[in-house]
Amino acid sequence: MTGISPSLPPMPAGRAPARQRRSALRRLLAQRELLLVALTLAVFLVTFAVNSGFGTSGNISFLLADAMPLAILAVGQSIVCIVRGIDLSVASILGVAAVSTGFLAQDHNASVWLMLPLALAIGVCLGLINGLFVVLARIPPIIVTLGTLIVYQGVQLLICGSRTVVTVPTFYITLGNRNLFSDIPYMLVPGLLVTVLMAILLRRTSWGRSLYAVGSNADAAFRAGIRVNAVLLSAYAVCGMLAGLGGLAFLVHYDSANGQSGIETNIQLWSIAAALIGGTTLTGGKGGVVGSFIAALFLEVTIEAVIVLGVPQVWDSAAVGILLLAAILVDRYQSSGTSLRQLLAATLARGAQQRPERVTGERR
Amino acid sequence: MSVATQPAKPTRRGWRALDTNTRWLLSLVGILVAELLYFNLGVSTFWGGGWGNPNSLLGYGEYFLFTSMMALGVMFVIFAGDIDLSVGAMSGFAGVMMAEFHLGGMNIWLAVVLSVVLCAVIGLIQGLIITFFKLESLLVTLAGWFILQSAAVAWEGPVPPYNLPSGFESALGTGTIGGTIPSQLIVFAVLAVLATLIVHRSRFGRQLVLIGHNRDAAAYAGVRVSLTRIRAFVLSATFAAIAGMCVAATYGTARDDLGPTLLLPAITAVVLGGVDIFGGAGLVPGVIVASFILGWLTPGLLQDGVSDTWTSIAIGILLLGSLTAKGMSDRGQGTLLRERLRARLGTGPPTSPPTSVDSA
Amino acid sequence: MSIAVRRHQPAGVRPGPPDGSDYVPSSYEARQIAKSFAGARALTGASVRFEPGTIHTLVGENGAGKSTMLKVMAGVHRPDAGELILGGEQLRSLTPRTAQQHGIYLVPQEPTLMATLSAVENLFVGILPRARLPFSVDWRAMTQTAGSYFEQVGLDVDPRQPASTLSIAQQQLLECARALVHRCNVIFFDEPTSSLTAHETEVLFDLMRRLRGRSFTLGFISHRLDEVFEISDRITVLRDAQIVAEFLPDKVTREELVTAMVGKEIAKRERRHRDLSGAETALEVDGLSASRAFSEISFSVRRGEVLGLAGLVGSGRTEIAESIFGVRPATGGVVLEGRPFRRRSPASAIAAGLIYLPEDRGHHGVFANVELERNITAATVGVLPRFGPLLRPAAEKEIAAKAAERTRVRAASLQIPIKSLSGGNQQRAMFSRWLLAEPKVAIFDEPTRGVDVGAKADIYSIIDSISDSGIAIVIISSELEELVLLCDRVIAIYEGRVVSEVAGDEITLERLGSMIVGEVAK
Repeated sequence: MTGISPSLPPMPAGRAPARQRRSALRRLLAQRELLLVALTLAVFLVTFAVNSGFGTSGNISFLLADAMPLAILAVGQSIVCIVRGIDLSVASILGVAAVSTGFLAQDHNASVWLMLPLALAIGVCLGLINGLFVVLARIPPIIVTLGTLIVYQGVQLLICGSRTVVTVPTFYITLGNRNLFSDIPYMLVPGLLVTVLMAILLRRTSWGRSLYAVGSNADAAFRAGIRVNAVLLSAYAVCGMLAGLGGLAFLVHYDSANGQSGIETNIQLWSIAAALIGGTTLTGGKGGVVGSFIAALFLEVTIEAVIVLGVPQVWDSAAVGILLLAAILVDRYQSSGTSLRQLLAATLARGAQQRPERVTGERR
Repeated sequence: MSVATQPAKPTRRGWRALDTNTRWLLSLVGILVAELLYFNLGVSTFWGGGWGNPNSLLGYGEYFLFTSMMALGVMFVIFAGDIDLSVGAMSGFAGVMMAEFHLGGMNIWLAVVLSVVLCAVIGLIQGLIITFFKLESLLVTLAGWFILQSAAVAWEGPVPPYNLPSGFESALGTGTIGGTIPSQLIVFAVLAVLATLIVHRSRFGRQLVLIGHNRDAAAYAGVRVSLTRIRAFVLSATFAAIAGMCVAATYGTARDDLGPTLLLPAITAVVLGGVDIFGGAGLVPGVIVASFILGWLTPGLLQDGVSDTWTSIAIGILLLGSLTAKGMSDRGQGTLLRERLRARLGTGPPTSPPTSVDSA
Repeated sequence: MSIAVRRHQPAGVRPGPPDGSDYVPSSYEARQIAKSFAGARALTGASVRFEPGTIHTLVGENGAGKSTMLKVMAGVHRPDAGELILGGEQLRSLTPRTAQQHGIYLVPQEPTLMATLSAVENLFVGILPRARLPFSVDWRAMTQTAGSYFEQVGLDVDPRQPASTLSIAQQQLLECARALVHRCNVIFFDEPTSSLTAHETEVLFDLMRRLRGRSFTLGFISHRLDEVFEISDRITVLRDAQIVAEFLPDKVTREELVTAMVGKEIAKRERRHRDLSGAETALEVDGLSASRAFSEISFSVRRGEVLGLAGLVGSGRTEIAESIFGVRPATGGVVLEGRPFRRRSPASAIAAGLIYLPEDRGHHGVFANVELERNITAATVGVLPRFGPLLRPAAEKEIAAKAAERTRVRAASLQIPIKSLSGGNQQRAMFSRWLLAEPKVAIFDEPTRGVDVGAKADIYSIIDSISDSGIAIVIISSELEELVLLCDRVIAIYEGRVVSEVAGDEITLERLGSMIVGEVAK
């Protein structure tokens, strides 16, 4: 028998999407990665114009290397954000991985090639614990990872006892602070590798696509035959794994680690900021890792530029705060489907009366 | 009760007849009592030199009461289904602002009041940004945290302001009333009573809770949702600022670094206290009890010879363990634990099972 | 991470051919299915058998168990007892995933697509075509073949378009296309037409008939009896969680079907004849417009009058009511009791004596986990008795109890969460909430949605007593019979405009039926 032919008359296009009439500004904002590259270059060039020392090859490779721990964490953070989660515990996972590998390196001169799988394994285990609480106990991710942030931080302190990692084998220092060739530091290799690999996995594999499906609408994903719990678990495990890698990167870059490494700089919040500035959202199903990687570089350059431009260093976190606000405002503007002027006008006219948005599914 | 009777439905008695919130509160009280019994009987030094001694039951308050105050503040926001991550930095900023005002020649109490009011204004601005642009409170207050922290560090300069008047330090910090009751405890008690009344007995509190349960339904029931949420952010900032005053008074100096470390314990207290992180459900006394459980746990375990590392691990485990237990008991009433575990381990959808069969 | 992927896509499973040509007809039977939710019984030993090449419709009142039946058969709910047999093979511990592997697909009432993903990805989700590299997704194959699936179901969209930009009807069709991708030959439609226009419904029915021609096994749920008679080959009636009757559409009358559904002859309710010519105008709406939703809406209601707003779903009825109440912005004038009502918002509307009972009780009405008492007082928190700034619990309880009594809410206590009440009692509680606000004008949107027959009669008498007390009432309802029984006057909304008006004895089912599809009377 032949198929269901002839074909049915096409369904008339429904509510015409407002896509056709996109303004130039909106198109530019939609290309988050390009925008960030442009902004990073702009900040770099302006700073270079003021202080030519900023553009030296030594400084460029320092900037690149210095941004890598954050960049790797931001990549992992994006993955949990895509499944509509969040992971505050990455700072402690980074810390645990950094001190465990650090002491082995310091005391036993352990090879970095042995430490790499160890750091990854630590990260996966701790990430899996997060995932299990999220999936089995159904506790909101922000609370789970707040709790494990505290617990893992305790583990980190226990590993340290009263000691700190102060000397690591020379090879570690080379990896963390020397260049592979010309201005390209060794540190850039794992960062780029992880980003490219994750970008491909997210885009081209059914695992990657199921992350987006679960983040976009977990019920629909369940109905479409996706093993939602397994996908969630895997997202937290991968995020943990990358945080473990970030810990090793931290160790080789700073040649030291202690009980406060990671949490003292609130790197978990920086990673969230980088992921969001990079175009990933907390509402799930959107974004990617390339943007997060570039956003981490952007944050690094901006913070260094702020210092070079003579603004006291204390304002660096304020700069991040403002950038974060700007990023979510841009997201809001993009998703609203109206022009900026309409959005403002509508917001102003609304005043006390608000149009309640239908709350779908779980928040956060 | 004039409501007509429902056809034969077995009435539950005793423990099971209580609603979830009350059961949770009673459990917390039980935990607190057990904790105090253990520390009092098992740890000889816990009582220290009696009531008035700084190293005894009430005296320990100065290590955690400001965290409890911060918890009460952020609790308002959590009741409405939002979150405020800026409270830690807010308290640090408030302390610095107050100290700088004072060092600039202002009367200490005027400086205190002015700082609290200005922080309330900052909370107002955050609330306005969140409701006006419909942004997620988590992110806006995270940005607020970063900005406030920078501002505090920048303002205080290289040397944190110190040398605050002893009257101020005594009144909000280390002083006692009659040598027994720490003055900070009085401040906390006032705030605690106030918070309880606001949430459970005022119109604003009722509307706050309704918003937390169902924001859309609240809007349709005529609740001014944005206004109410903004007021919660103002309260949160105000309580954080008061906590910041107490921190400054206790340590004799404005400390921009301490505030942010108080945020996580504060949120832990709220969640452990039984307030639903998604808003709505919860009791303020639960938060108060939880903040004492957490507060006394640290000095208790330290006196018991447990390292402070294990203490912080214990707090994290307490948070996760209690929520897991609570979640299991709330959701699976009447089914076997084994079945519940199996159902959860299966490929069930991530949302809770439908509670209504109306749409069948 | 990749383990999960490999497991849920057994080797060899590929998207099915767009025309469903490789398919083997099979019947699908449910035997003695029982299912309860939190103690409430949704199905008690119900059996039904779906045959290939037939469109088999389940009908019944809200809560009868129709939807639960299809969801159990599609693996969404796990039955407490009973067997599922597909072509002689018993299916055990069915999940949506295994159901789809067996060729069973449920098109849900409200399509649940992944809004941030493209149409093509929504089509293939869960069964993404593989490229040669391990685990990799073949995007090119996806975009190339998507068109032929879309064509088969009559869907004309750009495969790369985000799902969030599709209309409801387009989303329904995409769900059907997804069933073909999953090689499903047993397709269930759970009230697919409830949010479709007449034309869109015809497109969907065309598709269903074609699938029937290909010997697909089709299940269908609808509340619209016209549709049921139009499309069904077989009709099964559910009532109170059980199967009560099975009919062939040409062997049963509409009345017999309704009687089977409600279980008794509905007590004939007489229209009330009232003379309201002397009454003053309570609500006047003048030229109300909102972009896209509706334009130039004008009407007025007198004190004590019951005005019906008739119209199809999507005609703009609810949007008009929400705009008057101030939940959504609109231009144009509203005059309440002679006073212009500007700066509209729910809070000021309630203060001015205008209330609105929302259509979507679950999302916009009840606070599911909140006690009955506080649900009742939710809209009047501002005027509850106080001692200084503090609410007085005892006084509040008394008020809530009185209000609950007035609308005959049946509950064990005022302190139990409202979600534990039946739909009818929840709706009674909503009425008591709004009556507490002492309205002068009341808008009731689908006042009997999701309530049982007994509660329906109660709600009608509540509405009668409200109008007798001189309150102006506007009723929005999809059930034309309801409008005939309750209203003194009915206006029809079609595509966002008022198209016609009838009053008094001219309000008949037939007349309303033609009005809501845009026919101008005379």
